[in-house]
Amino acid sequence: MSDAVLTVRHIRQNLASRRRVVSLGLTLALLVTFALALYLGDYAVPPSGVIQSLLSPLTGMANKGVDFIVLNVRLPRATLAVLTGASFALSGIIFQTLLRNPLASPDIIGISHGASAAAVVCIVLFGMTGFGVSLGALAGAVLTALIIYVLSWRNGVTAYRVVLIGIGMAAIMMAVVSYLFTRARLVEVQQALAWLVGSLNAANRADIIPLAIAMLVLLPITMALSRVLDALQLGDDTASALGARVETARLGLMLAGVAYAAFATAAVGPVAFVAFVSGPIARNLLNGAGKGFVQAALVGALVMLGSDLVAQHVIPAVQLPVGVVTGLLGAAFLIWLLIVSNRAGRVN
Amino acid sequence: MTETAIPTRKSQGAVLALGLIGLAVAVVAVSFFSVTVGARPVSLDTIWQALTAFDANSTDHRIIWDLRLPRTLVGLMVGASLGLAGAVLQGATRNPLADPSILGIHSGAAVFVVLGVAVFGITQLSAYVWLAFAGAGAAMLVVYAIASLGREGATPIKLALAGAAMTAAMQSITSAILLTSPRTLDEIRFWQVGSLVGRGMDVVTQVAPFLAVGIVLALFTARMLDGLSMGEDVARSLGQNVNRSRAVAGLAAVVLAGGATAAAGPIAFVGLTVPHVARAITGPNYRWILPYSMLLAPILLLGADIIGRIIAPPGEVQVGIVTAVIGAPFFIALVRRRKLASL
Amino acid sequence: MLLKTLLSVSVVALALLPALAQAEPWTYTDASGQTVTLDAVPTRIVAHQDAAAGLIPLGIRPIGIFADGPIADAKALQGLDLTGIEIVGQAWGEVDIEKVAALEPELIIGEWWDRNASWSGGTDVSAALFELAPITGPAASDSIVGMIKDYEALAASLGADLSAPEIAEAKASFATAQEAFKSAVDAKPNLTALAVYAGTDALYVADPAGAAELLDLESWGLNIVTPAGVDAAGNNYFETVSWENADKYPADLIMVDNRAPATLENALAQPTWTTLPAAASGAVTEWPAFWLRNYTAYAGALDKLTAAITAADENLTD
Repeated sequence: MSDAVLTVRHIRQNLASRRRVVSLGLTLALLVTFALALYLGDYAVPPSGVIQSLLSPLTGMANKGVDFIVLNVRLPRATLAVLTGASFALSGIIFQTLLRNPLASPDIIGISHGASAAAVVCIVLFGMTGFGVSLGALAGAVLTALIIYVLSWRNGVTAYRVVLIGIGMAAIMMAVVSYLFTRARLVEVQQALAWLVGSLNAANRADIIPLAIAMLVLLPITMALSRVLDALQLGDDTASALGARVETARLGLMLAGVAYAAFATAAVGPVAFVAFVSGPIARNLLNGAGKGFVQAALVGALVMLGSDLVAQHVIPAVQLPVGVVTGLLGAAFLIWLLIVSNRAGRVN
Repeated sequence: MTETAIPTRKSQGAVLALGLIGLAVAVVAVSFFSVTVGARPVSLDTIWQALTAFDANSTDHRIIWDLRLPRTLVGLMVGASLGLAGAVLQGATRNPLADPSILGIHSGAAVFVVLGVAVFGITQLSAYVWLAFAGAGAAMLVVYAIASLGREGATPIKLALAGAAMTAAMQSITSAILLTSPRTLDEIRFWQVGSLVGRGMDVVTQVAPFLAVGIVLALFTARMLDGLSMGEDVARSLGQNVNRSRAVAGLAAVVLAGGATAAAGPIAFVGLTVPHVARAITGPNYRWILPYSMLLAPILLLGADIIGRIIAPPGEVQVGIVTAVIGAPFFIALVRRRKLASL
Repeated sequence: MLLKTLLSVSVVALALLPALAQAEPWTYTDASGQTVTLDAVPTRIVAHQDAAAGLIPLGIRPIGIFADGPIADAKALQGLDLTGIEIVGQAWGEVDIEKVAALEPELIIGEWWDRNASWSGGTDVSAALFELAPITGPAASDSIVGMIKDYEALAASLGADLSAPEIAEAKASFATAQEAFKSAVDAKPNLTALAVYAGTDALYVADPAGAAELLDLESWGLNIVTPAGVDAAGNNYFETVSWENADKYPADLIMVDNRAPATLENALAQPTWTTLPAAASGAVTEWPAFWLRNYTAYAGALDKLTAAITAADENLTD
């Protein structure tokens, strides 16, 4: 009896230490990548110059050209990458957990498509740019999520219905986008396509503020509600036994998931696959040691920031949008996952 | 119990067979409208003349022969192929969401076409056909190879993940090319919608042999799919070679979906929804689901195409858009109305 | 010692004087109504591809160009010498801001699009560039000739010598081409022309009101068919016509958008294109759509149009 208790305690300690190691490793990797993002670029700035610029608000030592590059170009870009990466990842892991399907991330079940269609409508039909498009995308994501939820409601919401109806909505939204693509002038199509791929090239401080505020509100809510997910993961039957509190938590988390996806998409466009892969990567690293919300957010930030570095620097003459690289990385990860899980003789 | 069940099953079979005949009549009717209805009004007399006494200098006659007839044939072939491909994929992977687009076929075709346009300056639809076919085949092979790694072979979830990976990678490459080459974007945006416009007899003759083989192959998989739908263990215990069944079904699906994409571009929604509709009518038996899908899909596709021709005069709306806009609400209603049989 | 220092200071001051005298402030009021004022005439200019196509033939060479796509595809820049000019963007809505910053530009020149209230290249690009240097430039107006004149005024203010022989020569050859065009048009009063873009999905009939060069051609006497109604939104310089209805607007001469060679290939692949009277009789020529920005290119385009008009049958359709 006491042996069993000891074993359980031992396992718990092991799991906790694994969680800590994973979180610490991811945080370190993120910091290193962030430093690289501030240092690398076509405009050569030595490391000391980067540090001087970062400290210049305190020290007052200014170097106009370098400060512009470090503080107005690279810092906002890297910050936005981290925030959007974490948001996409949280949105993805929330949906994947709630709907218990690895394919149920917002970029598959129609929410990103709603944002995309709204953004393309704004660009093509109303000739909008910049902030107007972001606002439209935000509205599109929230509205689409609402429609999916309402249409899926029939004495409650089942994961299966949400996914199927989400895919139906996604098809309609993509049809809207394709149609507008054939009706629009080529420059508008180019603008819309660049937005659809998702890019940090136009990152500035104005993009960061709404997202940062949203995350400050959403993060504590997510963490509080996610505790209820432990019960949810046991299955609908067990969860429903816990009563209405679970249903409320589920709805709250779903809303948070929509909000993460909506705000991140509004800021940088529907960057492919960050939402889809971050959760599975985090869970793979944890290997059963927890739900992986925090770790998924770290993975998302790292994927986004790292991908943007690759996108900017791997082909010298071309600045690819970050979405091109996240797509390729996502693909590579999935293939790796398939191979690894085969070797281990299981697939999750 | 058996005494009552057997006649019921028989009469159900008779009803379903009658339904098939009804669908066949509907296919003929929709084909008739596809030849007679278009953006330009052409009288039935003129159409009859065009068919019996063709005059190459008459614009009306040429529209019937060079535009509407091939377009109708392409619509019939593509529709039947997409419906069957979707049903076969859903059965073989036991995944209700399996669709040529989810298994990477569309994105593989798209990346080859985009490369052809961007790198080799190809702009003719008849040349797209081969590119799309090659791309679809390559994508499906890679997806299948990746998913088959390991002991248990290509399980549904592994196929879906491998397909998603393939789609993501191919879309990234496609986007990168399109963003840096507006010239290519300008060509591809009309192909990517999925359309029957401008498909001539050359396209028909190019893809018809492949689709014919694919259709025959797909119809022969019905028994295997019924076996698989009972679960792999049951199928094995009935003496079925599960991996071979999946391979045959996969081959049929890639030939059909690849050929359809080659002919009409990526049309996303038909392959996903039509089998669900068929299943809602026939129940879980693939011997019925497959022929129903094969006849329902061209009705949806050609019907959508006819609507697209007349709703935006003097232009047209592409069939890929109309199928999504009328197909998706129908699909959603279906999902809401009944508990879809999980596969 | 003190004297010596004073002397050297005054020598330095004297040496600086001419430079100070030249450094007059430079101002330019752009088409959006904003006035840009700089301490001196800017020499380090980064320009959009179309602005560069307007300025380079006038002797004003930007140090950087941002293009809407691959620089090789930029029709406006074809035939111009770009050696030594850094290309800082080759996709729409994208510019390598670090490369631009390294060039230390004093002025960004683009074109103002009143319809979208934005600078060429798009709001994202202009917002990013604006942090490095002020943006100015002429408007994308309803006459190419008017835009060329705007570029001449801008170039002159930037120190260009417009009386240079090659500039005068280009202007003269344009004047000759223009006269030839006018007399060719006058000789065929019944001639009607149609400007189209041919897609694989449909034929797009251009509304001359949306294209500056078509308005120029109209003002010089050419009869260009105006479509009954343009698309409500998006591509609203065109009316989309199904290939079944390709003969909706009969014309003696068809001008095909020449920005990409694929456009004409698309048309030729259509059965209903080949039955059009103009296409059947070979009365098809190039429409230099939206990209002309200098006299040399304009003269070349006009010569082709003049030849096509001279060869066309003005009574082919009624």
